[in-house]
Amino acid sequence: MTLFTKRLCSACQEIKNSFDLEALGIKVEELGPDNPDALAHLAWHELVEDAQKNLPILVLNDSSAITDMLEIKNLLMRLSRKKK
Amino acid sequence: MGSVLKLKKDSSSETTDMALFVHRSDEALDSWNRERIVEALIRETCIDHDTARAISKEVEEIIMASGISTITAPLIRELVDAKLIERGLERARKMHTRLGVPLFDVDQMITHPNKENANVPHGPEATNLTLAESIKKEYALLNVFSREVGEAHMHGTIHLHDLGFIDRPYCSGQSLEYLKKFGLNLPNSLAMAKPAKHPEVLLAHMVKFGAALQSNFAGAIGWDAVNLFFAPYLVGMTDREMKQLAQMLIFEFSQQAVARGGQAIFTDINLYWEVPKHFADVPAIGPGGEYTGKTYAEYEKEAQRFVWQLFEVFKEGDGAGRPFFFPKPLVHITDKFFQTPGHLSFLNHICDVAAEKGNTYFVFDRGDTAKISECCRLSFKLERSDLEDAKEPWRMRYSAIQNVTLNLPRLSFMAKRDDTRLFDKIADIMELAVRAHLEKRSFIERLLSHEESGPLTLLNMDTDGTPYLRLNRSTYLIGMVGLNELTQYHTGEEMHESTEATRFGLKVIAHMKLLADHFSRRFGMRFVLEQTPAESTAHRFARLDLTYYPDEASQVVKGNPAQGEVYYTNSTLYNVSAPMNPIHRVKYEGRFHPLIEAGALTHIWLGEARPSAPSLANFVIKTFNRTKNDQIAFSPEFTCCNDCGKLDRGIHDRCTYCKSRNVDGITRITGYFTRISSWNKGKLGELKDRYRNHEYL
Amino acid sequence: MSKYPNHIPPIKGFIETSFSDWPGMVCAVIFLPYCNLRCPFCHNHVLVLNPDSLENISLQSILDRLKPFKDWIDGVCITGGEPTIHRGLPGLIRKIRSAGLMVKLDTNGTQPEILNYLISEGLLDFVAMDVKAPLNDSKYTRASGVYVPVEIIRESIETLMSGRVQYMFRTTVVPSLHSRDDILEIARMLKGALGLTLQNFNPKDPLDPQMRKEKPYSDEALCLLQKEVDRVMKSKN
Repeated sequence: MTLFTKRLCSACQEIKNSFDLEALGIKVEELGPDNPDALAHLAWHELVEDAQKNLPILVLNDSSAITDMLEIKNLLMRLSRKKK
Repeated sequence: MGSVLKLKKDSSSETTDMALFVHRSDEALDSWNRERIVEALIRETCIDHDTARAISKEVEEIIMASGISTITAPLIRELVDAKLIERGLERARKMHTRLGVPLFDVDQMITHPNKENANVPHGPEATNLTLAESIKKEYALLNVFSREVGEAHMHGTIHLHDLGFIDRPYCSGQSLEYLKKFGLNLPNSLAMAKPAKHPEVLLAHMVKFGAALQSNFAGAIGWDAVNLFFAPYLVGMTDREMKQLAQMLIFEFSQQAVARGGQAIFTDINLYWEVPKHFADVPAIGPGGEYTGKTYAEYEKEAQRFVWQLFEVFKEGDGAGRPFFFPKPLVHITDKFFQTPGHLSFLNHICDVAAEKGNTYFVFDRGDTAKISECCRLSFKLERSDLEDAKEPWRMRYSAIQNVTLNLPRLSFMAKRDDTRLFDKIADIMELAVRAHLEKRSFIERLLSHEESGPLTLLNMDTDGTPYLRLNRSTYLIGMVGLNELTQYHTGEEMHESTEATRFGLKVIAHMKLLADHFSRRFGMRFVLEQTPAESTAHRFARLDLTYYPDEASQVVKGNPAQGEVYYTNSTLYNVSAPMNPIHRVKYEGRFHPLIEAGALTHIWLGEARPSAPSLANFVIKTFNRTKNDQIAFSPEFTCCNDCGKLDRGIHDRCTYCKSRNVDGITRITGYFTRISSWNKGKLGELKDRYRNHEYL
Repeated sequence: MSKYPNHIPPIKGFIETSFSDWPGMVCAVIFLPYCNLRCPFCHNHVLVLNPDSLENISLQSILDRLKPFKDWIDGVCITGGEPTIHRGLPGLIRKIRSAGLMVKLDTNGTQPEILNYLISEGLLDFVAMDVKAPLNDSKYTRASGVYVPVEIIRESIETLMSGRVQYMFRTTVVPSLHSRDDILEIARMLKGALGLTLQNFNPKDPLDPQMRKEKPYSDEALCLLQKEVDRVMKSKN
């Protein structure tokens, strides 16, 4: 799974602070002017336009994407519980 | 200056008296006067008077010593230049250079067709254009661009498009509202026309203004929402009358081959089934330039009936049933399209045209984006300030000032398969492209600064309070050729061969996109990526790379090198010969499109197959819903018999009906239909390689 | 069930995506070998005369290839050759359907029994049937290259027109085989049917090499003829 974020995005920061993303096996991609890799990854998942409107976006292993903040949180919460 | 001299020296006088007549280029006769050399040197270069005189004497001596009885003025100038070189006066020599064309080349041009641009027919007007272009090209490289930029172009690291049109911006998109509101009042024109009262007159204004724009821009002329803006003039018209008007419009633009250089105006017409959201509440302008008191939303019916009839005409084709080459109809498919009654039957109608003749372009404006398409693949996304403009649609005028294309495969050859080096090279070359844009912009600004007395008065006219060309709103295009070959050389795989290769291609484009954004911020100009319609560039780059990088280029170049029919794959497209399902093609190519802001397109080559229109409609809807693809077009192929005049699907050696071999193939070259006989060698190579969906079994 | 064994007929050709084989659908196409007719204008004659020169393609490999396109490809068109001469056809169709794909059948209508069976079982979403000529033995035989008792063709036509499945009739028009009157006669015979689509003969590589010299009707002529056909099919008397 991949979490697309950017700097100066409070929602992104919130997710990063609330969960141990690494432990959940989630790769964090921070979009920014110096990160073509992240942008290319975003384009691969056909999310360039979505990311212009709204971040963070969580991409699941089946390539489906969740853009709703609440849904992302719920999913990560469930995953964290399972882990424990 | 051409001159005929007979020398008879009188050594006593300071100036040599020669019974010589100088046949000048302005068709006047002059007698030999060494002082002319001195005057020219002083006027054109910065050398001192003594050096100038010394040079003039030396040149005169050479001429006398040679014993020749005739001499041309260009030769005198070259002799002077040789003397400047002897003295190490390189800068002065450059300033004193003469631009011109060798006799042999002029003869070739007059007798043989121009293969660089298939949209240029062969004839005296075309020759004029080619000759003028060749001199302006030299001028641009010597006098507009810096040495680095010029050399990069000549070596084929970058390609500066339309150098022969150096003194014009690249392309232009506008709205009929400008003509409806202000009439046709062209600078330098003897008569001014008030706003049209009748649809036929509005059409006449549109055609004339289109021609005027063609002489002020290098490339395409696009018109926004044509069916909608005609609508207030069409109230009460019968279908029959409407079809007549549609026919007039299409034939006017398809037969404008009497304009500049015998070239049809490269015209795009943008069309909508729905009333686009951004125009729905805008007060409509009707006959006589008056507001009708209604909004455009209230003209939906007329706009729909008109666009229907336009496609009726496209479906019939020209007098011989051939597809119209111009104007290109771009139909915008939006979220609102699918909420507008009748959209399915309209979609089937335009798909019928796509299946029969191939004309239709399907432009996908998903979500809130609104776009106006311009030239081959160029479309501008309307931004917030533009949406503000939409309330007064005559303000909506867009232009790209120049198009610079990067030779991506060469960068991979130079980087020798090293990632860091490759991405550094890309950054360097982007910076060079930006520099080329800065240089072109300052040249155009210089021309514009002459205002009324300058060459670009049309672009300066400020009927609505702002100059016609809104330079601060313009874009600067950065295109690319051969992403597929870059990837192939760098990773060992073409983009269709593996996921990793495609992802690497995406990274290259993402890198370019971020750099374009960076330079936009830095210079306060809009640099955007574009899929170059690299009609001749794809061939030129491949040819030059086979010369400069033969070992590397021969590994990746496409086409048939033995025949000279070589090319690189256009822009970010996948190998045209890859046996790729059209579904994969629209989906995979579509991944690149959101990064290429100035517009992108996927071609689906149909070859001989005659598809079912509803099946195409089905595919178009899925492409809208399931991909990020920006624009698609279906391209059939035809063979047109010059003897019996009949048209058949597919490209054949001989006519299916009368078996004559005197046939022309017709299909889409990059962004428009043409006769194959006019194509350059690279494009011919590509045509042979194109993978038609259906050639199995 | 034993009448229609479970073994799958060999598949000799496959098109992943077609816009021209099923009106309104984006479909895949599979080709079955052998045919009981020898139409001189046939353009798939390798499948008819020399199918062993083509490799077999496994159904599984086809279904695997189609899997990623499930949002895009509506169904599979089964053509040939003549698919209905294979007893295993129902089994093949069931396998395709269980992969979630619709099925269209192209047939020459010479096997009314299996056609009826497939329709009764609800195995077909669409049938395209070729009507080669007006329904008299000599004309039909000339267009088919072998003797065809027209009664079986009539039976298939009636099966389709009974309204249990969507269908279309098609006629490939060859000037030396079909006069204008022949075409209109076919149209009259099919009156009340959903429609008859005329297809132009392609002289590029027909089964009978003699046919290569044949000049097809021009597109405009065929288009006019189609309009006449439509008028006949829709007329009340």
